[in-house]
Amino acid sequence: MKKTPERIEALAAEYVLGSLRGAARQRFERWMMESVRVRQEVWFWEEKLGYLGQQIQEEAPPASVWSGIEQRLWPRRQAALSATAANDGAGRWLWPGWSLVATAAALVLAVILLQQPVPMDDERLSGAIVQAELTDPLWLVSESAFERRLKLRPVAATAAEKGKDYELWIVPEDGQPVSLGVMPVGDTYQVTLDAETRELLSSSRTLAISLEPVGGSPTGAPTGPILHVAKLYEL
Amino acid sequence: MTAIDTEQDELMGLLVAVAREDRQAFQRLYEKISGRMFGLCLKLANQRDLAEEAVQDAFVQIWHHAGEYHNDRGAPLSWMLTIARYRTLDLMRARKSKQTAGDSHLEQLEDGREGPLDVSLRTAGAAQLTGCLEELSEAQRDSILLSYYRGFTHDELSEALSSPIGTVKSWIRRGLMALKRCLER
Repeated sequence: MKKTPERIEALAAEYVLGSLRGAARQRFERWMMESVRVRQEVWFWEEKLGYLGQQIQEEAPPASVWSGIEQRLWPRRQAALSATAANDGAGRWLWPGWSLVATAAALVLAVILLQQPVPMDDERLSGAIVQAELTDPLWLVSESAFERRLKLRPVAATAAEKGKDYELWIVPEDGQPVSLGVMPVGDTYQVTLDAETRELLSSSRTLAISLEPVGGSPTGAPTGPILHVAKLYEL
Repeated sequence: MTAIDTEQDELMGLLVAVAREDRQAFQRLYEKISGRMFGLCLKLANQRDLAEEAVQDAFVQIWHHAGEYHNDRGAPLSWMLTIARYRTLDLMRARKSKQTAGDSHLEQLEDGREGPLDVSLRTAGAAQLTGCLEELSEAQRDSILLSYYRGFTHDELSEALSSPIGTVKSWIRRGLMALKRCLER
């Protein structure tokens, strides 16, 4: 459909009013991206019809709305609490090296539920590995159930110190952590889960990252400090 | 300077601060406008949980996009309410597509028609808009206001106003264009 001035005028008004729906609405949103003229027409109506919105009776939203906003924007406080709770959890956390979590506490481990407006159909587990003083997460984690792959996309993660590598682990509910390999920083790290590891991750939903000698732990269990622990969420 | 201008200036200042990630300003902004935003979303959706979700989503968006606000987008309050309104409409559509159609909206109709025009005017811009709405035919005005405040689809409007869908569409289209001509005068 051609962007004639008449069409832009008519569609922008209906877009802002809300009566433009479905595929026509989506097409118009593409027009908005493509053309400043279209956007200006939309802004005209947003401003004019906006006055209607200001004539409505006020009603204070419940306090949970504000706390929900804080939680979504700055999830640290709650995550720190849940990490503490998890550590109080029981003997299942007592695996070699775990006590070092305390020394890594300053680096902190927290988890956010990814704000994905349209979650991919086949993504089941999701989360992020974050560090307290950084606004961006270190890695974003997602699991594709269909491909049976776990993906960690680095966002703010920096390379491990010289002579060291990051190693990724599944922390099962019971027993020893299971290595998912050494993670290079820079590219998205993908690992295919076999039935057994998938089962472990599905039940514990907990990942950890430890600092190991280059090439990974020589013993098959974490030997270096546990830098991060993250709990994943089901979407 | 009127009280309204002062308020818009204050909101503008808060938005600028929010763009610099000032959390206190963000909270102040929330305290100032969340009541109006929630009122609007609630009227539109007529469902408290949906309206609450829309306000949350809108403020998360405002936090991330405050830097994109500029004067061409209208007054700061309009801009923020618009974000909340679009989000409410999105959520309503998402829910409607899951629901089986009912005629519950008919109960909402009476409330929807009670007339926002009766509400006292708060700004010169609102006065102009109201004046121009008064110039429309009653059918045009009703269909525009029901779409705006209630998020009615063409189908719902057709039922609510007991008129064929083509007629309703043309009321909206012609009403909006007449409104624009009037607003541009």
